[in-house]
Amino acid sequence: MQRAHGTKHWLSLAGAGVVWLVLVAPIVTLLAHLSPSAFVAALRAPGALAPLVVSLETGAITLSVLVLGGAPLGWMLARRRLPVHRVVETGVLCALLLPPLVVGLLLVFMVGPDTPVGHAIAAIHLSATNTVLALVVAEVYESAPYFVLGVQAAVGAVDPALEVQALLLGDTPRAAARRVVLPLAAPGIAMSLAVAWARAMGAFGAVIIVAYHPYGLPLQIWTTLQETGLSSALPFALVLLVVALPLPIASYAWSVRARARLLR
Amino acid sequence: MLELDFCVERRDLRVEVAFCVAGGQRVALVGPSGAGKTTVLETVAGLVRPCRGSVTLAGRVLTASGPPEVDVPVWLRRVGLLRQQVALFPHLSVAENLAYARRGLGTTATQDTLAESLGISSLLDEHPATLSGGQCQRVGICRLLLADVDALLFDEPFTGLDPELRRTVSAVTAEVVAARRLPTVLVAHELTEAQAFADLLGIVDGGRLLQLGAPHEVVRRPGSRRAAEIVGYRAFVDTSPHAVPCSTVLGVHPGRVVAGAHPDAGAVLHGTVTRWRAAGARVEVDLDVAGVTVACELEDRPPGTSADVTVLDPQWFSAVDGRALGRQSGGPAVVDPGGSTR
Repeated sequence: MQRAHGTKHWLSLAGAGVVWLVLVAPIVTLLAHLSPSAFVAALRAPGALAPLVVSLETGAITLSVLVLGGAPLGWMLARRRLPVHRVVETGVLCALLLPPLVVGLLLVFMVGPDTPVGHAIAAIHLSATNTVLALVVAEVYESAPYFVLGVQAAVGAVDPALEVQALLLGDTPRAAARRVVLPLAAPGIAMSLAVAWARAMGAFGAVIIVAYHPYGLPLQIWTTLQETGLSSALPFALVLLVVALPLPIASYAWSVRARARLLR
Repeated sequence: MLELDFCVERRDLRVEVAFCVAGGQRVALVGPSGAGKTTVLETVAGLVRPCRGSVTLAGRVLTASGPPEVDVPVWLRRVGLLRQQVALFPHLSVAENLAYARRGLGTTATQDTLAESLGISSLLDEHPATLSGGQCQRVGICRLLLADVDALLFDEPFTGLDPELRRTVSAVTAEVVAARRLPTVLVAHELTEAQAFADLLGIVDGGRLLQLGAPHEVVRRPGSRRAAEIVGYRAFVDTSPHAVPCSTVLGVHPGRVVAGAHPDAGAVLHGTVTRWRAAGARVEVDLDVAGVTVACELEDRPPGTSADVTVLDPQWFSAVDGRALGRQSGGPAVVDPGGSTR
């Protein structure tokens, strides 16, 4: 009996190890096929860093939009404070399920120059195609569902009885949210923000349709691949990885520590 | 003074109660599960909205069905409620949990004194995840006693505490209630807890307050057969005259029975011993009296297979509608297994 249990344990470990290797294999491959000199040369090319700056700028704006608009929506979904809760939740899920390329196509019909929204934007001398605004809109559409559902899960995991207890002790709902719900949901919200950041930095499907210019990192990789081949595109893939990874890793480390603090 | 008179429509029950609690007075509500006791507390605290009625605390109307309609939000009511789920904040230490409630009221010294009295002063730096159920309960009680409120409500506060701690917690709570002249309502599952804590005992059943009175009185003189059942009367013996349809029953509380026939002290029952077992320092005996099993807690096991016992301060109830008929209505009786009354 104990022997069978031990065998099962080792099989489980081996299975987990194989899955982990499969997941990290692309990163290992990237590092294996990239020489330091090629990496430095690619980044020293004129204008090579401009897409990085564009990606960082639009990514930061996207995160701000998500925090301001997506966090309250996720919070209200978690606490079922919306009148048509199920309809709203289904809408967010549908947005999550739409392929990014399709989102891009639909954005042309929604905010393109010949649409009412496009005309309204044009009236204030802006455009939602091939501009920074277009890039932000595309990134928001690609990352928002992940963030909203992540916040919903994080806030939903906080026992509502704690919020009620704070009210009973004299906190207003806003104070109870700030003093009780937010600290407890923060690790989950941080992870959602990290996922949203990664999605925004890697946004491609919708971006290629509505925001071909200005280039962000994913489009630079794509155009470099098209114009000069696979080996030239790899340095930019590493840049994308280096830029996109720190926030998720930091968020992960912080949320692990925060969760451990709750259990100590 | 806390005054409440309201009706709450629950999916399964209509809860309709009315009573007052003076400053410094402690009222305990007992009753079966689902009787509506917790609903009463939650309505006072503002977590449940009544369909009719009002709640007034220290002259402030907290709830009124109107006109004008009043519904003061939970956080402005100044009503402290300890729920069955204590809900300590897991991201805060015990000291921080206590300080959460202390705003503007107690000093750190008050907090330390109370924590010492409740035996949690060594836990102040701990986090709730590391505490046992009983420790969480005491921290929750301490937090509530430190809260800046005008009334205290406790929903089964002694759960998870051993008898010694129950006595301590009950005494500390009573001290704070008396010192701050706070109207206090406690919901208890066990009658002894309620009796030990309260000045007034209320029996709640089916959403209604059946009886409210001094704890000793409510147990000795239940207002109805149902109230008697809730406070521990376990047998009801037909004491109607022979050949007359059953009109009165004698309520028997196991703790109000002595061995032997003492007609001057109460109603004498004659029955057959069907079972006995040790119950602490006493013996629990089942007597078959006129086909009814009467449980008695006696000093010793009766020597033979049949025995006489005397029900002290006997209470009779109408067999028709269950209302109490008082001590003398049935008169002292001697009932034998054949059902005849001598």
